[in-house]
Amino acid sequence: MNKTSNPQDQDLLDVNGLAVSRRTFLGVLSGALAAGTLMAPGALWAQPAGASLLRVGANANPSSLDPATGGSGSDHVFLFPIYDTLVTWDFDSLKAQPGLAERWEFTDSKTLVLHLRQGVTFHDGAPFNAEAVKTNLDRSRTAEFSNIRSDLGSVDSVAVNGEHTVTLHLKNPDTALPLILSDRAGMMVSPKALQANGNRVDRKPVGAGFMTFEKWNDGSEIVLKAFKGYRGDDKPALAGITFSIITDSATRLRAVMSGQADLAYHLDGRQKPLVEKMPTLHGVVGSTVYCYQLYLNMSRDTLADRRVRQALNHAVDRDAFIRGAMAGSGEAAYMNLPKSHWAYDADTAELYPHDPDKARALLKEAGYADGVTLDMRGYNDQSSVQMQELLLAQFARANIKGRFRTGTIADMSAEYFAKKQGDLLLSAWTGRPDPSLSYSLMYNQESYFNAGDKAPPEGFAEALLASRSSDDLATRKEALAKVQRLVMEDALVVPLAFRESIVATNDKVQNLRNNLLGKPKFNNVSLKG
Amino acid sequence: MANRVKQRMVAARLLQSLPILVLATFIVFCLMQLIPGDVAVTLAGENASMERIEQIREAYGLNQPFLVQYGQWLGHAAQGELGTSLLSGEPVAQTIARTFPNTLLIAVYAVLLSVLVGVPLGILAATRAGSPLDSGIMGAASLGVAVPNFWFGMILVLFLALGLQWFPATGFVSPREDFSGALWYATLPALALCTNGIAEVARQLRSSLVEIQSSQHVRTLHAKGLSPARILWKHGLKNVSVNLLTVVGLLFNKILAATVVVEAVFAIPGIGSSIVNAVLQGDFPVVQGAVLAMVVTVILVNLCTDLACTVLDPRIHA
Repeated sequence: MNKTSNPQDQDLLDVNGLAVSRRTFLGVLSGALAAGTLMAPGALWAQPAGASLLRVGANANPSSLDPATGGSGSDHVFLFPIYDTLVTWDFDSLKAQPGLAERWEFTDSKTLVLHLRQGVTFHDGAPFNAEAVKTNLDRSRTAEFSNIRSDLGSVDSVAVNGEHTVTLHLKNPDTALPLILSDRAGMMVSPKALQANGNRVDRKPVGAGFMTFEKWNDGSEIVLKAFKGYRGDDKPALAGITFSIITDSATRLRAVMSGQADLAYHLDGRQKPLVEKMPTLHGVVGSTVYCYQLYLNMSRDTLADRRVRQALNHAVDRDAFIRGAMAGSGEAAYMNLPKSHWAYDADTAELYPHDPDKARALLKEAGYADGVTLDMRGYNDQSSVQMQELLLAQFARANIKGRFRTGTIADMSAEYFAKKQGDLLLSAWTGRPDPSLSYSLMYNQESYFNAGDKAPPEGFAEALLASRSSDDLATRKEALAKVQRLVMEDALVVPLAFRESIVATNDKVQNLRNNLLGKPKFNNVSLKG
Repeated sequence: MANRVKQRMVAARLLQSLPILVLATFIVFCLMQLIPGDVAVTLAGENASMERIEQIREAYGLNQPFLVQYGQWLGHAAQGELGTSLLSGEPVAQTIARTFPNTLLIAVYAVLLSVLVGVPLGILAATRAGSPLDSGIMGAASLGVAVPNFWFGMILVLFLALGLQWFPATGFVSPREDFSGALWYATLPALALCTNGIAEVARQLRSSLVEIQSSQHVRTLHAKGLSPARILWKHGLKNVSVNLLTVVGLLFNKILAATVVVEAVFAIPGIGSSIVNAVLQGDFPVVQGAVLAMVVTVILVNLCTDLACTVLDPRIHA
């Protein structure tokens, strides 16, 4: 090799009039390298400051921060701190409790009167009053973009009776309404903000909750600041909440373990032993109404026969399912409500013990002595696939064959529910604050989630109506027990297991409690030290 | 004279890159069409009817032929308008401005580490070619090439973040807000990414140095009585610098691509994770914009490498 140049050559690189000699170039390059090495250790350094800032590892980017336009069940964790709801619920049983409405009464079966809390203001200073409630409810039930129109389907009109009293006139009796008003439909948005932003606040939420909105970086973080003067409280327990959106649950837990987050929610059952074993972590674990289940299309040839549907229910070994696919973290589901729910019915839970022989006998009775082959649908994430494999093995013992076609949640749901393809779908029901809502959404003939559009069994509609016609809890429970029994006797669904809510916190987080809805609320949470 | 040649070269190279940009974004657009999934379904929310999905498809122009959709995107992009995310409504330019600096910081950091560690190792191996030290370094380099960086990232997290608690296991701060903090957060990801780089730099440097050392002109230099150190530093490294720079340029592009995986391991809001999320949800404006930003970066890095090469070796004229 022959070198023709020497270092003295002023061979110039001219970019935008900036002349750089080879020597300068190399000098700058090595200088930059040296600076890099020197700076790296110098940056070890301040830990994130602000002791009373709660740092949360969240599992998903919200679909919207406007309660009326969002479509995902994972939005609530972000919405609850920003928006106070008209009604709230008891953490353990989901019974309705006062919220922005101090109290309410059904003056007759089709009239609900709400008495509002006084002296409440929204984050932007707008007063919370009857007019604000009417604006919100009317927007949610009529606006073209609203995703919650059906939640308020029973409301005929909303009337303002004075500054702090609102009357809801209903099309039909609906005692599920108070609890419906504890969900998206009851989240109150500032009318002033709605007016200023063209009736939508997707990215600029303004509510009356204990946290005000600061910023939202998509897929990365959401920052909230304490609302000074919330309910007359000048010393909020938290200065703010920062949500880091970390979709992978293992990474989310690591964020708590290494100190970048104070808590992480929506962890997997597989992580429960780790959370319990680590001395620096605390687990807040509890049952939820989130139910893994097989949705059945009852208009398809085989599943039209209820004996086949019953066979499916007998074929499933729910305890083995929880051990095998959920790392033992869950509650066996024999209907759509868990044991701790106020409307749980112990008798219905006895209907389908694990019994492959009985399943085969039922199939034989239905004319399928050689077994049935089903066209099944499911999702393609790791834990769903694991559940599918387990179910296929259990089904095989009862002579039920077939395979799962998988895809993303959005696509498979649309394929099964909207395009009505496939016999069944392995998915989940995330639960609703009022059980009657769950039942009507899943089993009414015209409901989206009843893919086969099959009419529910005789007496179902009456029992459901009865459950919504009384506001006495005992009467409601009785009516709902009948609904549950009808659903399970006719085997309209194969409930599998209730998901446990697993939240890991460091030892600074105080007063975090599980709730049955499985969507953490941080209202009473404080940080030690 | 030489300056004019270079200006012409830069201009020509930039012009040549235009078809690359169009082709790259077109291919990505085609791939997005092939992926099963429908963003209209996602947009319609949990219990949407087919009618509602159709409405949304119409509202967002998703029902148009895909060449028309691509043409519209390209027309807007040419005017600097990258559109907004279908799902969150955030302007794509803003997404890129927010996430890309994080990714760039990690990539540059990893390249610097690769050079800082790889160059001395390469020199050491070359000057002691055939010795056990050389075999040791080259063996380790082979291992470095073979180690998957996401796995190495996990191991680093286990020991340096969870065990010793020296570095954070997840997250990031923006380098524009707090540069030293950003470096702290970027250290583990950069370490995870640099193993392949160190190995590649060391191997390439060693083999070119060994080749130079056995060349005739180096033999002449020895005969002239020059000290081995002077030969190495003044003649050997100068000769391999072009080679090295080319390797580093390619390395940067490779590391940029690898950040996609490492960002997931460390939960870093970089452009890689934006692309992954957008692909999964079918949010094509974000995918297109982010891919465009990455392609432009790769083209610019290649251009800079070539320009730097012409400075280092005047015989090279583009």
